[in-house]
Amino acid sequence: MIAVTGASSVALGPGDPRTLEPTAFLRAKKTRKFMGTQDDLAVIAAAGALEQAGLQAPQLGERAGLFAVVGYIPFNRDDIDPVLESSLDGERFSMTRFSSGGFQRAHPLLTFRCLPNMPAFHVSANFDLQGPYFVSYPGPGQVYSALEEAHILLQDGTIDCAVVLAVAHQRNFLVEHHFSRLSPPVPVTELWDAAACLILERPESAAARGAATRATLRSLEHRYAPHDALTSERATREILTGVAQPPGERGPALLLTAVAEAVRAHAATEVEHRLQTRDHVSAHSTWQVHG
Amino acid sequence: MTRRVAITGLGVVAPNGIGVPGFVDALLAGRSGIRPVTLFDPASLPTRIAGEVKEAPPAPLPDRKIGFALAAAREAFQQACSSGSVPVGRGGLSLGVGLELFSMDDLVEQRRGRPLPSAAVERLSFMQTPSDLCAHFLSQAHGLTLPPLLHVSACAAGTDAVGAGFRRVRSGRADFMLVGGTDSMINPLGMAGFASLNATSTRNQEPERASRPFERGRDGFVLGEGAGMLVLEAWESALARGAKPLGELVGYGSSLDAHGISEPHPEGRGAAQAMARALADARLSATDISAINAHGTATPKNDPLETVAIHRVFGQHAKNTPISATKSMIGHLISAAGAVEAVAALGCMNAGFVHPTINLDEPDPSCDLDYVPHHARRHQQSYVLSSSYGFGGHNAAIVLRGQEAALAAE
Repeated sequence: MIAVTGASSVALGPGDPRTLEPTAFLRAKKTRKFMGTQDDLAVIAAAGALEQAGLQAPQLGERAGLFAVVGYIPFNRDDIDPVLESSLDGERFSMTRFSSGGFQRAHPLLTFRCLPNMPAFHVSANFDLQGPYFVSYPGPGQVYSALEEAHILLQDGTIDCAVVLAVAHQRNFLVEHHFSRLSPPVPVTELWDAAACLILERPESAAARGAATRATLRSLEHRYAPHDALTSERATREILTGVAQPPGERGPALLLTAVAEAVRAHAATEVEHRLQTRDHVSAHSTWQVHG
Repeated sequence: MTRRVAITGLGVVAPNGIGVPGFVDALLAGRSGIRPVTLFDPASLPTRIAGEVKEAPPAPLPDRKIGFALAAAREAFQQACSSGSVPVGRGGLSLGVGLELFSMDDLVEQRRGRPLPSAAVERLSFMQTPSDLCAHFLSQAHGLTLPPLLHVSACAAGTDAVGAGFRRVRSGRADFMLVGGTDSMINPLGMAGFASLNATSTRNQEPERASRPFERGRDGFVLGEGAGMLVLEAWESALARGAKPLGELVGYGSSLDAHGISEPHPEGRGAAQAMARALADARLSATDISAINAHGTATPKNDPLETVAIHRVFGQHAKNTPISATKSMIGHLISAAGAVEAVAALGCMNAGFVHPTINLDEPDPSCDLDYVPHHARRHQQSYVLSSSYGFGGHNAAIVLRGQEAALAAE
């Protein structure tokens, strides 16, 4: 049994303006320019969850681990377009032009805004997480791996606090294109930008510091079937009971979002999540949310 | 439950050797795999050299890192099964894997709104295959039925993959694990991305001398590619089926720098934490460590700070501990680096040598330890610590026990 002492989520659906503003949570404001949408989402979700758990930097440090799952890589069109513009010879890509200047048209650090380990960096740097970590990708099946890793390190006493994070920037030309080419495809209108974060602790650790247990992770099952990845045409299905299904395709963020939404509702309920993914992961978890 | 974890198979695809025997021979001979780039025309990119794998193994998709991983895993399992029996029970995969990258031509076409191919294989080629596909190919090839652990912690991913798999076997959550890393970023975007950060060496005229960890004249790392794979299994199970362990994995530690986006902590805090945690996990002290396989990238910032971190953890013993930088010969294999270096560390330990750090003509004054310059050295080892430090502040270290010491403890 693992206690959830903080939970938070953030999402932007189709047509929503990009209004994310994480600056208030940044220890070094100058890092703002290096943050992409997935980093904004991650920092905001983590800030909300840590605040609800009553945890701040001095209490975290070496005893806090980070377990993050990030969606498909969202190269920013605004970053890559100038590079391509300067790398064309007529209508064709020219290595000569690319190598003689095209590649320098984007600020090199700006490319970091899409890398899958960057949300983990920004969350760790801004909330002083110095413990062990697990950084994975790209979908909801890997969230179960993150929960397992967090569970292992909490139970063996390596850490006192696990920050479990799922984030995906999907309203992005490259990610949209990728989903449109899956079989079966996911329409662009279904894709959301989303992040959610849970703070997990051993119940006795949470009680010792006087933290309220908002929910309890009661069970976790995680299975996999090896398969031919080239011919598989299975769609990802996530079924939730005990809480309203958050709308849209949220990449890895749906489960943690649902738990955060249930916690936010302040009503006792059991949340059950069943998952079958296109990569043949099947998983099941139950969460008792305390009113 | 806590179990000993045997290493029963090793596999490697590296720029200076495919297959463990050839790779270890190349390391001990100080043979570099760095050459001018041939995979594409680098035109006038500032860096035009890399550690390419010659005669790359075949892959089911046009993504080199998949072929590397499959070949290294095949070798590792062949060795693990050389007694005629196979690892038994629940098996899984823990894989450090590189970024999904893009064909520049495809990006141009997509930008112009032109339709892209829709056939199954081509459908996946736009992103040069999502990287997680590699895990499914490996799991299918070797019947690994536990959910794969995918690690994208940048340059620490390979070591993290080995460490996380180790933890699964030790705790009884898995009976055996295929662990390792695979990567290739030797492509226009990958090469240009690192070049634009001024992170890579521009010593294009002398490729074999370009990767110079801990050396005064170092000017950045050289990209490499390849894969390293290890088969881990519960010690007792391995012996019971007649396998002879090649060594033992005894500790893993990781840490987050929680510091700067482009530079490590100035006192090497995160690196020191990872090494200290690996030692604590192994229930060893620094004086038990016979040698270190360093991250040793040859970037101006990494090498002195890694040296500082080693001083912090090893104290007086630091001066007595030989430190080898595999990247001096194969370059930086990014997500595969830690796994390939684990293979290097164990292979050399079992051969009774530490491999050299080549090109170390004049050490940087701020790098004041024994980096085994130029030539391999005979050195009896019980335990080696191997470490990886990733951009974005991910630090990981593992502790390996050599075959002789591990069997003696039986």
